[in-house]
Amino acid sequence: MTGARPAMDGTAFFDDLEVGQQWRFGRYEVTREEIVEFARQFDPQPFHLDEAAARESLYGGLIASGWHTGAMFIRMVAECMTPRVATQGAIGFDDLRWIKPVRPGDVLSVESTVREKIESRQRPERGTVKIESRVLDQRGEPVMSLVSLVIVMRRPS
Amino acid sequence: MRYFEDFATGERTTLGSHTMTEAEMLAYARKYDPQSFHIDADAARRSIFGGLIASGWHTCAIVMRLSVEAHRRMDAAGAGSPGVESCRWLKPVRPGDTVTAVTEVLETWPSRSRPIGFARRRTEVTNQHGETVLTLVGISMYRRRDGAGA
Repeated sequence: MTGARPAMDGTAFFDDLEVGQQWRFGRYEVTREEIVEFARQFDPQPFHLDEAAARESLYGGLIASGWHTGAMFIRMVAECMTPRVATQGAIGFDDLRWIKPVRPGDVLSVESTVREKIESRQRPERGTVKIESRVLDQRGEPVMSLVSLVIVMRRPS
Repeated sequence: MRYFEDFATGERTTLGSHTMTEAEMLAYARKYDPQSFHIDADAARRSIFGGLIASGWHTCAIVMRLSVEAHRRMDAAGAGSPGVESCRWLKPVRPGDTVTAVTEVLETWPSRSRPIGFARRRTEVTNQHGETVLTLVGISMYRRRDGAGA
């Protein structure tokens, strides 16, 4: 993860995050086997399951389920971001866009930017941080974007 | 076959129900969302959640599965989705919970450039106690009956 502040060995609290702060992190190789396995379980549509059927679809070949791209995104977040931020999960997200199909052989990474910090009146020990993330492919082109609403603890006084 | 023209504003459809097992929750979380309250029962008990909870992304994936099955039952000419406007994880989903998804068409409009149409949907997911655990507002695309652009 690059761009992390404060130091990588410290946990970032709500108070430490700055609007505009940006991170680049993660590396996820997309395989045909995993696309099909995820689709069998959660999104069994022909263009996620079967190469021949996918070739004849409007996508022209096998593509990952959008929820699989979401799953790969959250894996990179859980690996690289969550351990360094005092988070207690997310309440949801807004404006999720599946911009471009994700295909076997693509290599994904994430670019996240702090967009807004919202203090909680009812729960002064924590706040909500709006983090905009773009999932990029190996060409640096965005394949998915979203704005996560993440709960982050205040620095204990 | 149900085409874009066959979906009307206000139409409500029960997509289906699913009972979450601890084993499937752990399998998803170990692979995609390995936070302690999703993968470690002891750590989860000590967390603010008081026990293991499903990854919110897992619950969304279950809703996708229910949606695909429901669209297959109605033989819908589905053409994917460009995205989700909002998703809120309102309450934890725990092992043994049965979640039920109901979706409502909020509005529909045809594409100007392609032989498809869009439906904005609000999907609400409740547990066996009738509590809402997840809401999703998203766009679904369907092929048009005439197969032509406007």
